[in-house]
Amino acid sequence: MTANIETKDLTRTYETYMKAQGLLKSIEGLWARKTELKIAVHPTTLRIDKGQIVGLVGSNGAGKTTLLKLLSGLIHPSSGSAQVLGYEPTSRKPEFLKKISILLGQKNQLWWDLPPADSYDLLARIYEIDRTKARERVRELSELLQCTQQLQTQLRRLSLGERMKMEIIGSLLHQPEVLFLDEPTIGLDIIAQTTIREFLAKYVHERNPTVILTSHYMDDISLLADRLLLMSQGRIVYDGSVKEFTGRQEARQTLSLKILNPPAHNTNIANQFTLEAGALAVKQDLPAHAIGDVLQALMQVSPIQEIKIEEVEFEDVIRSFMEQDARLRTPGRSPTT
Amino acid sequence: MLGCARLAALQQLEYRFNLIADTMIQPFIVGLVEITLWVAFFASTGRAELVGFSRESYLAYALWAAFISRVSTSWMYESMMIEDVESGNVNAVLVRPISFFEYYLGQLMGYKVLTTAISLMAPIAICLFLDLPVDMTRLPVALALVFYYLILVHLISMVIASLGFFFTRIHHLTVAKNITLWMLTGEFFPLDIAPEPLKSILIALPFSSAVFRPVGYMTGRVSLASIGEGFVSITIGIVIVGVVATYLWNAGRKRYSGTGA
Repeated sequence: MTANIETKDLTRTYETYMKAQGLLKSIEGLWARKTELKIAVHPTTLRIDKGQIVGLVGSNGAGKTTLLKLLSGLIHPSSGSAQVLGYEPTSRKPEFLKKISILLGQKNQLWWDLPPADSYDLLARIYEIDRTKARERVRELSELLQCTQQLQTQLRRLSLGERMKMEIIGSLLHQPEVLFLDEPTIGLDIIAQTTIREFLAKYVHERNPTVILTSHYMDDISLLADRLLLMSQGRIVYDGSVKEFTGRQEARQTLSLKILNPPAHNTNIANQFTLEAGALAVKQDLPAHAIGDVLQALMQVSPIQEIKIEEVEFEDVIRSFMEQDARLRTPGRSPTT
Repeated sequence: MLGCARLAALQQLEYRFNLIADTMIQPFIVGLVEITLWVAFFASTGRAELVGFSRESYLAYALWAAFISRVSTSWMYESMMIEDVESGNVNAVLVRPISFFEYYLGQLMGYKVLTTAISLMAPIAICLFLDLPVDMTRLPVALALVFYYLILVHLISMVIASLGFFFTRIHHLTVAKNITLWMLTGEFFPLDIAPEPLKSILIALPFSSAVFRPVGYMTGRVSLASIGEGFVSITIGIVIVGVVATYLWNAGRKRYSGTGA
């Protein structure tokens, strides 16, 4: 398979000024400033094939957005190299920029004062797309995203969800081969999230672009991505399929129940948790294999009034992985502890 | 670039009150203030002429200097460029197949063409009302020189905006630069009343093409040959500042961390 994105030891460090506290230190900072180097992305070697949809996940500051910016040519690497569609991103060759798109969910890339329709006319000129074809494409995309009515309204007057739909149209107008989506559904209500998620799923299925998607909403990742990259402190700590990732984690379930007779004193339940004295309700994440023992132990304490067993959220699985990873990286602890 | 010029025109036309204030109210007030200052100067000194030019000639110069200097400055787009670099909004340009220079130069030119066309009415009306000695047939050549000078102005803005990659906050540099240019361009006073050798140096610099040469040409202080020299001097300035701007932009881009997104 052809690799659309390849990196070799791609690294990015930032030099930041260490602001000292207080007026005197601030005055001293006029002539003497201390700086520190922060590694945003540790040497990263990566290969993403044509048509792959990659979910890039990690906590805030993990290096996800920095990696996207490196791959789209927005920022230069400190060392290492990247090739996207055979181009070095930082060279910003027009033929490269016409084949990629980056959507930054927290930044407007259309023009605030203008209706999106005017912005698309300008984008059509910038990307050298035939005006009629561009307008036809805008019509198609806006119908799919259910936002045709807002095309003539100034961007500043649109809601966050409507703005994001317009940004998506702007980023897809030139039919990019590689699409970088950074938090496309951030801050949106559930209806707008669903519309955008379903639109993107349909779009990538039909057009087959290579996509790297970052999101805090795991529904975005689980619905769209066929490969998961998990980043922590500037490193990729997991690279595999979403399915494998969830399978690798110990299967866990959330047990919620109400009991009729609260215990008089704290009671150990099947060595899994302690049921506090007087408690009438329980909600606990447990290993799936322990659910039976827990129920049996609870029934010896009190009759059960109501019971619910749910799959643990994908987000929680990732959080648990990250916590485990952070524990392993704590200085002074061996990876086996 | 035409698309960017059109963008600037659309953005200006979006806010009609702001446009009227920018293109009609401001030039009218500035013109009146400049004329009042020179009227006061001549009244207080009791003179009818200064360095060989009449009172009316100075009034005409002051009026058109106020107008032309507004055309030949770019504080608004320079501020937007700086803000883009500081805030990370520059990303929206960097990911598209257009250069930051071209994107803002197109907008600057579009804005200047629109606002100049509308605001010309103010100095022309005042000139006719006060019967000031101005050769209006020279206006197109004078404006051609000013619009060519705008390329140099834009490159200076590129230099300052590029410094934003290194120093984070640089807005006050624009103010310092504008005050310097206020004197170097001839907006503050006609450069030919300065003593030698300052006079020759000031006129030889490309900045004299922002106000002194075009306004001097319209008011009869300088010849057509001086306009030609202005084009040459601007071209040299474009080459020198262009090299500096390119170097700083590329070096700044290497440091850029994609702030704010």
